[in-house]
Amino acid sequence: MTPITNSFSSNLAAAWARPAMGKTAGTASSVAGDTSVAAPGSRFGDMLSEMVQKTDASQKTSAATTGAMLSGQNVPLHQVMIASEEASISFQLMLEVRNKLLDGYQELMRMQV
Amino acid sequence: MNLIPGANSASQGLRAEQVRLEVISQNIANARTTKTADGGPYQRQSVRFKAALGDAMAAQSSSSAKNEPTLEIVRDPRPAVRVYQPGHPDSDKEGFVAYPAINIHEEMADLISANRSYEANIAVMRNGRALAQQALSIGKR
Repeated sequence: MTPITNSFSSNLAAAWARPAMGKTAGTASSVAGDTSVAAPGSRFGDMLSEMVQKTDASQKTSAATTGAMLSGQNVPLHQVMIASEEASISFQLMLEVRNKLLDGYQELMRMQV
Repeated sequence: MNLIPGANSASQGLRAEQVRLEVISQNIANARTTKTADGGPYQRQSVRFKAALGDAMAAQSSSSAKNEPTLEIVRDPRPAVRVYQPGHPDSDKEGFVAYPAINIHEEMADLISANRSYEANIAVMRNGRALAQQALSIGKR
Protein backbone atom coordinates (compact mmCIF):
# COMPACT_ATOMS: atom_id res chain seq x y z
CA MET A 1 0.00 0.00 0.00
CA THR A 2 2.82 2.35 0.78
CA PRO A 3 4.32 2.56 -2.77
CA ILE A 4 0.86 3.16 -4.24
CA THR A 5 0.20 6.04 -1.86
CA ASN A 6 3.56 7.60 -2.60
CA SER A 7 3.26 7.67 -6.36
CA PHE A 8 -0.43 8.56 -6.29
CA SER A 9 0.05 11.46 -3.93
CA SER A 10 3.02 12.76 -5.89
CA ASN A 11 1.05 12.60 -9.12
CA LEU A 12 -1.92 14.35 -7.54
CA ALA A 13 0.29 17.02 -6.02
CA ALA A 14 1.97 17.58 -9.39
CA ALA A 15 -1.45 17.90 -11.07
CA TRP A 16 -2.52 20.53 -8.50
CA ALA A 17 0.76 22.43 -8.72
CA ARG A 18 0.79 22.77 -12.54
CA PRO A 19 -2.24 25.09 -13.01
CA ALA A 20 -1.09 27.32 -10.11
CA MET A 21 2.34 27.79 -11.64
CA GLY A 22 0.76 28.55 -15.02
CA LYS A 23 -1.37 31.34 -13.49
CA THR A 24 1.45 33.08 -11.67
CA ALA A 25 3.97 32.96 -14.55
CA GLY A 26 5.09 36.29 -16.01
CA THR A 27 4.94 38.63 -12.99
CA ALA A 28 7.91 39.83 -10.93
CA SER A 29 6.51 38.54 -7.63
CA SER A 30 5.80 35.19 -9.22
CA VAL A 31 9.53 34.51 -9.54
CA ALA A 32 9.81 34.63 -5.76
CA GLY A 33 6.56 32.64 -5.55
CA ASP A 34 7.96 29.95 -7.85
CA THR A 35 11.12 29.55 -5.77
CA SER A 36 9.08 29.33 -2.58
CA VAL A 37 6.83 26.68 -4.15
CA ALA A 38 9.88 24.76 -5.31
CA ALA A 39 11.47 24.92 -1.83
CA PRO A 40 11.98 21.45 -0.42
CA GLY A 41 9.24 20.19 1.89
CA SER A 42 6.70 22.79 0.85
CA ARG A 43 5.16 20.61 -1.83
CA PHE A 44 2.26 18.46 -0.77
CA GLY A 45 3.81 15.30 -2.19
CA ASP A 46 7.00 15.87 -0.20
CA MET A 47 5.01 16.42 2.95
CA LEU A 48 3.09 13.21 2.39
CA SER A 49 6.18 11.10 1.75
CA GLU A 50 7.75 12.67 4.85
CA MET A 51 4.69 11.61 6.85
CA VAL A 52 4.92 8.09 5.50
CA GLN A 53 8.59 7.95 6.47
CA LYS A 54 7.82 9.18 9.99
CA THR A 55 5.09 6.55 10.36
CA ASP A 56 7.51 3.92 9.18
CA ALA A 57 10.13 5.18 11.65
CA SER A 58 7.69 5.00 14.56
CA GLN A 59 6.73 1.45 13.56
CA LYS A 60 10.39 0.48 13.47
CA THR A 61 11.00 2.10 16.86
CA SER A 62 8.12 0.17 18.35
CA ALA A 63 9.37 -3.13 16.91
CA ALA A 64 12.92 -2.45 18.10
CA THR A 65 11.79 -1.50 21.61
CA THR A 66 9.61 -4.62 21.90
CA GLY A 67 12.44 -6.80 20.63
CA ALA A 68 14.88 -5.24 23.09
CA MET A 69 12.54 -5.90 25.99
CA LEU A 70 11.85 -9.48 24.93
CA SER A 71 15.55 -10.21 24.53
CA GLY A 72 16.11 -9.24 28.15
CA GLN A 73 17.51 -5.71 27.90
CA ASN A 74 16.65 -3.16 30.55
CA VAL A 75 13.71 -1.54 28.74
CA PRO A 76 10.81 -0.41 30.93
CA LEU A 77 7.48 -1.97 30.04
CA HIS A 78 5.67 1.35 29.83
CA GLN A 79 8.12 2.55 27.19
CA VAL A 80 7.25 -0.46 25.01
CA MET A 81 3.51 0.20 25.38
CA ILE A 82 3.82 3.91 24.66
CA ALA A 83 5.95 3.26 21.58
CA SER A 84 3.41 0.76 20.24
CA GLU A 85 0.54 3.21 20.87
CA GLU A 86 2.38 5.99 19.00
CA ALA A 87 2.99 3.66 16.08
CA SER A 88 -0.66 2.62 16.00
CA ILE A 89 -1.97 6.20 16.10
CA SER A 90 0.41 7.40 13.40
CA PHE A 91 -0.60 4.47 11.20
CA GLN A 92 -4.29 5.33 11.64
CA LEU A 93 -3.50 8.93 10.76
CA MET A 94 -1.83 7.80 7.56
CA LEU A 95 -4.88 5.70 6.71
CA GLU A 96 -7.20 8.68 7.25
CA VAL A 97 -5.09 10.90 5.01
CA ARG A 98 -5.12 8.20 2.36
CA ASN A 99 -8.93 7.96 2.62
CA LYS A 100 -9.26 11.71 2.18
CA LEU A 101 -7.03 11.68 -0.87
CA LEU A 102 -8.99 8.83 -2.40
CA ASP A 103 -12.26 10.67 -1.77
CA GLY A 104 -10.91 13.74 -3.52
CA TYR A 105 -9.67 11.66 -6.43
CA GLN A 106 -13.02 9.93 -6.79
CA GLU A 107 -14.80 13.27 -6.63
CA LEU A 108 -12.63 14.52 -9.49
CA MET A 109 -13.21 11.38 -11.50
CA ARG A 110 -16.97 11.71 -11.10
CA MET A 111 -16.96 15.08 -12.83
CA GLN A 112 -18.70 15.05 -16.18
CA VAL A 113 -16.44 16.08 -19.01
CA MET B 1 5.69 12.92 15.47
CA ASN B 2 4.13 13.73 18.81
CA LEU B 3 0.62 12.51 18.20
CA ILE B 4 -0.39 11.63 21.74
CA PRO B 5 -0.48 14.77 23.89
CA GLY B 6 1.27 14.49 27.22
CA ALA B 7 3.05 11.27 26.28
CA ASN B 8 6.55 12.60 26.97
CA SER B 9 5.78 13.88 30.47
CA ALA B 10 3.78 10.79 31.34
CA SER B 11 6.58 8.54 30.17
CA GLN B 12 9.13 10.37 32.33
CA GLY B 13 6.75 10.29 35.28
CA LEU B 14 6.30 6.53 34.89
CA ARG B 15 10.06 6.05 34.82
CA ALA B 16 10.46 8.19 37.94
CA GLU B 17 7.82 6.24 39.86
CA GLN B 18 9.40 2.98 38.77
CA VAL B 19 12.77 4.05 40.20
CA ARG B 20 11.04 5.14 43.40
CA LEU B 21 9.41 1.74 43.72
CA GLU B 22 12.74 -0.01 43.24
CA VAL B 23 14.36 2.11 45.95
CA ILE B 24 11.49 1.36 48.34
CA SER B 25 11.78 -2.36 47.67
CA GLN B 26 15.51 -2.19 48.34
CA ASN B 27 14.87 -0.38 51.61
CA ILE B 28 12.36 -2.97 52.75
CA ALA B 29 14.62 -5.86 51.74
CA ASN B 30 17.52 -4.36 53.72
CA ALA B 31 15.51 -3.38 56.77
CA ARG B 32 17.52 -5.69 59.02
CA THR B 33 20.91 -5.48 57.32
CA THR B 34 23.45 -4.75 60.03
CA LYS B 35 26.61 -5.00 57.94
CA THR B 36 27.28 -3.54 54.51
CA ALA B 37 30.42 -3.22 52.38
CA ASP B 38 31.06 0.18 54.02
CA GLY B 39 31.10 -1.47 57.44
CA GLY B 40 28.08 0.08 59.06
CA PRO B 41 24.40 -0.83 58.87
CA TYR B 42 22.39 -0.22 55.73
CA GLN B 43 21.58 3.45 55.16
CA ARG B 44 18.05 4.14 54.04
CA GLN B 45 17.89 5.54 50.51
CA SER B 46 15.32 7.89 49.08
CA VAL B 47 14.71 9.37 45.67
CA ARG B 48 14.89 13.08 45.09
CA PHE B 49 13.09 14.49 42.07
CA LYS B 50 14.78 17.69 41.00
CA ALA B 51 12.36 20.42 40.12
CA ALA B 52 11.51 20.09 36.44
CA LEU B 53 9.54 23.27 35.96
CA GLY B 54 9.83 23.19 32.22
CA ASP B 55 7.23 25.09 30.27
CA ALA B 56 4.69 22.64 28.92
CA MET B 57 4.33 24.48 25.61
CA ALA B 58 8.07 24.61 25.11
CA ALA B 59 8.33 20.90 25.86
CA GLN B 60 5.81 20.19 23.12
CA SER B 61 7.86 21.91 20.47
CA SER B 62 11.31 20.87 21.64
CA SER B 63 12.73 17.53 22.66
CA SER B 64 11.57 15.64 25.70
CA ALA B 65 14.88 16.10 27.52
CA LYS B 66 13.86 19.59 28.65
CA ASN B 67 10.97 18.36 30.75
CA GLU B 68 12.64 15.33 32.20
CA PRO B 69 12.50 15.11 35.99
CA THR B 70 16.03 14.54 37.21
CA LEU B 71 16.31 11.67 39.62
CA GLU B 72 18.83 11.47 42.37
CA ILE B 73 19.10 8.61 44.82
CA VAL B 74 20.28 10.07 48.10
CA ARG B 75 21.15 8.43 51.38
CA ASP B 76 19.02 9.30 54.34
CA PRO B 77 21.35 10.61 57.07
CA ARG B 78 19.17 9.24 59.84
CA PRO B 79 21.25 7.69 62.63
CA ALA B 80 21.00 3.95 63.04
CA VAL B 81 18.84 2.40 65.72
CA ARG B 82 20.89 0.81 68.47
CA VAL B 83 19.52 -2.33 70.04
CA TYR B 84 21.09 -4.09 72.98
CA GLN B 85 21.97 -7.57 71.69
CA PRO B 86 25.27 -8.74 73.18
CA GLY B 87 25.14 -12.15 71.48
CA HIS B 88 24.88 -10.73 67.96
CA PRO B 89 28.01 -11.18 65.78
CA ASP B 90 27.84 -7.50 64.77
CA SER B 91 27.47 -6.09 68.26
CA ASP B 92 30.01 -3.48 69.35
CA LYS B 93 32.03 -3.60 72.56
CA GLU B 94 29.07 -2.32 74.60
CA GLY B 95 26.77 -5.02 73.24
CA PHE B 96 24.69 -2.74 71.00
CA VAL B 97 23.82 -3.66 67.42
CA ALA B 98 23.13 -0.86 64.94
CA TYR B 99 20.06 -1.57 62.83
CA PRO B 100 19.00 0.55 59.86
CA ALA B 101 16.52 3.28 60.73
CA ILE B 102 13.84 1.99 58.36
CA ASN B 103 10.22 2.32 59.41
CA ILE B 104 8.17 -0.30 57.61
CA HIS B 105 4.98 1.73 57.92
CA GLU B 106 6.67 4.70 56.30
CA GLU B 107 7.93 2.50 53.47
CA MET B 108 4.46 1.04 52.99
CA ALA B 109 2.94 4.51 52.76
CA ASP B 110 5.57 5.50 50.18
CA LEU B 111 4.80 2.30 48.30
CA ILE B 112 1.11 3.09 48.08
CA SER B 113 1.88 6.66 47.04
CA ALA B 114 4.23 5.45 44.28
CA ASN B 115 1.53 3.02 43.13
CA ARG B 116 -1.09 5.77 42.86
CA SER B 117 1.30 8.12 41.07
CA TYR B 118 2.05 5.38 38.55
CA GLU B 119 -1.68 4.85 37.99
CA ALA B 120 -2.18 8.59 37.58
CA ASN B 121 0.48 8.75 34.86
CA ILE B 122 -1.13 5.76 33.13
CA ALA B 123 -4.48 7.58 33.24
CA VAL B 124 -2.82 10.58 31.57
CA MET B 125 -1.49 8.32 28.82
CA ARG B 126 -4.89 6.72 28.28
CA ASN B 127 -6.59 10.09 28.05
CA GLY B 128 -3.97 11.36 25.63
CA ARG B 129 -4.53 8.34 23.42
CA ALA B 130 -8.32 8.81 23.60
CA LEU B 131 -7.85 12.45 22.54
CA ALA B 132 -5.75 11.40 19.56
CA GLN B 133 -8.28 8.77 18.49
CA GLN B 134 -11.17 11.21 18.78
CA ALA B 135 -9.25 13.70 16.66
CA LEU B 136 -8.79 11.00 14.03
CA SER B 137 -12.53 10.28 14.10
CA ILE B 138 -13.22 13.79 12.78
CA GLY B 139 -12.44 12.57 9.29
CA LYS B 140 -14.37 9.34 9.52
CA ARG B 141 -17.71 9.24 7.78
